[in-house]
Amino acid sequence: MASKSISSPVPDAWYPTLSLFTLTIGLALTAFFFIYEATTSRKTRSLAQELITAAVASVFLGFGSLFLLLASGVYV
Amino acid sequence: MRRFDLFVFAFAIAILSSPVLSDLIISKLDRRIDLTTQIVRATTSLKVENTGSDLVSEVLLTIPDNQANHLAYLKATLNEGKGKSKASASVSLPVEVYHPKDAPPSLTFYSISLPKGLAKGDSLNLVVLAVYTHILEPFPQKISQADIQLLLFQDSAHYLSPYPVKAQTLTVKLPDARTESYTKLENTKLQGSELKYGPYENLPPFSYLPVVVHFENNQPFAVAKELVREIEISHWGNVQITEHYSLVHGGAQSKGEFSRLDYQSRPYVRGASAFRRLVAKLPPRAHSVYYRDEIGNISTSSLWGDSKKTELEIEPRYPMFGGWKTEFTIGYGLPLKDFLFGLDGKRFLNITFGSPMNELVVNTLFVKVVLPEGSKEILASVPFPVKQWQEIKVSHLDVAGRPVVVLEKSNVVPEHNEYFQVYYKFCSLSMFREPLMLVSGFFLLFVAYIIYMRADLSISKSSASYLAKLQWEEVQATVQQLHKIVSRCLSAHDKLEASLPDLSRTGDVQACKATRKSVDSLLKELSKELKPLVAFLQSSPQASQIFPKVEELVAKERDLQERLVAKHTTVVDCYEKKLGGREIENRIASQQQKITALRQEIDDLMEFIDEI
Repeated sequence: MASKSISSPVPDAWYPTLSLFTLTIGLALTAFFFIYEATTSRKTRSLAQELITAAVASVFLGFGSLFLLLASGVYV
Repeated sequence: MRRFDLFVFAFAIAILSSPVLSDLIISKLDRRIDLTTQIVRATTSLKVENTGSDLVSEVLLTIPDNQANHLAYLKATLNEGKGKSKASASVSLPVEVYHPKDAPPSLTFYSISLPKGLAKGDSLNLVVLAVYTHILEPFPQKISQADIQLLLFQDSAHYLSPYPVKAQTLTVKLPDARTESYTKLENTKLQGSELKYGPYENLPPFSYLPVVVHFENNQPFAVAKELVREIEISHWGNVQITEHYSLVHGGAQSKGEFSRLDYQSRPYVRGASAFRRLVAKLPPRAHSVYYRDEIGNISTSSLWGDSKKTELEIEPRYPMFGGWKTEFTIGYGLPLKDFLFGLDGKRFLNITFGSPMNELVVNTLFVKVVLPEGSKEILASVPFPVKQWQEIKVSHLDVAGRPVVVLEKSNVVPEHNEYFQVYYKFCSLSMFREPLMLVSGFFLLFVAYIIYMRADLSISKSSASYLAKLQWEEVQATVQQLHKIVSRCLSAHDKLEASLPDLSRTGDVQACKATRKSVDSLLKELSKELKPLVAFLQSSPQASQIFPKVEELVAKERDLQERLVAKHTTVVDCYEKKLGGREIENRIASQQQKITALRQEIDDLMEFIDEI
């Protein structure tokens, strides 16, 4: 009958900092993605690189915006 | 007074017709009725004795119907210790409504099951707490702003019981205010704010002696006609509670006009029956507390707290007089770890049931527990009977919606603020649904942009400008490729150069030759790759402007390559002949100058081409 209390996987106090860092990284990757898109021509663009950059950037942006929501009190 | 006649009549029948239920007698009985607030609490401590020979396993209580209709809470505890021990030492006993065969009308029976039977000659101490709401009748029913509120309370001076009572007393606790009138019987005393009836001795079963108290009470009569408490669990660390109140002053109705000026100047005289504030006792570590009514928050509220509790005081927009209504919402967040627990692979929420407001009566209470999306096997366990069903609520970042357990209970008093549990199963991985949704949303945006950049949106595929654009793109791509190859050549040159200082340091001629060989083959390959690109640029009309530069670059690069190779050969040769360092330097000095100059020119050209 030993019940143990359940808490969040990440302490609440970390949310603002985490969202700042992940969003910074995510936005930097997004910037890189768009710079790449703008500076390469259609012939030289590599689809794999585009997709990988997009995937990594969206992971960071996704978690960053989740932490931003949590930090601002919208508990999803 | 007609009602009392009816009662006396009913009890006469009851006495005549009821069989002896069992051989129990109540040897000592103390009743305390607390009338200080709108909620009437009657505490009865009884000493029950078995005089018969059979084992008795249940004790019956009777409450007249006019009181039973207002009964909100009934709890019986067994006092094991001698004398008046505290409630903590007592055990709560199950109480059920009981229907005897030939039940006297206008009486409700409750049966208390004893944990072990009461044998002959044994006795035990019971404490019964009965809580009534809406039982105090305002008299007069309508008062003006300046009037005080007077209430009527009716009960029996004799304890109504199916058993004979040997000795009993009744104490009525009144608020510290005027007592208008009370029924005077023998042995009646009014001491301060306490009204005492008794002691009475050796009364037969179903004795009834009506008494009426008429007294002043200006305590807040805050009644929530409906309260919806929404408890939303987020596994990201929060339990969010939102409470929607629809409040009314349940005391004597207000009549006549209301003067704000009178109220403002002497609020305790010209508004004695009104209440202006409510206090809610929230759990400790409550955060993000808000209070607003339907059109926003311009009302006053204050909040303070310590490690044991958080107190929120709110003031509705106007003082509440009898019959006046207000609607408002309060909300607060609580840390998840204080309320959510895990047990055998299941999770359960452990939180209080009722409203946190002090001395509030809730006519209909809805408790909605919103569980995270993906919860299964939901089971609510509440210590008293409630109506329950399930709903779905769609909230932030939901696909299928969250399961909601709705518990409905009418006539709720602060005594119902007990802990209840909602058990459910939840896979921890389901927590990542929400971030994955956000991630896939962003990814879709990127993919849309990639598709947009690749899509050919021109209408006329054969126009001159379109073709020129296509060709120019091809030229650009070729130039970029060329740039890449030349920079690879340059790094090969660097590698070759770097092998020379290594040679002078280690004197390993073989290693140096090996480097030379690999660089040579690499350069040969690169020049092969370069050829078709140069040929394409030469033939393309679009590249006519930049072709001279490209040609120059390629030529210079070849020149540099030849010179470097020559230099390398010279140095290696010198080493094999074991010439001194100065001699070698003299031999390559002239070559070195040209190499540096060429390298500089190539770098400039590369920069120019890169900008295309």
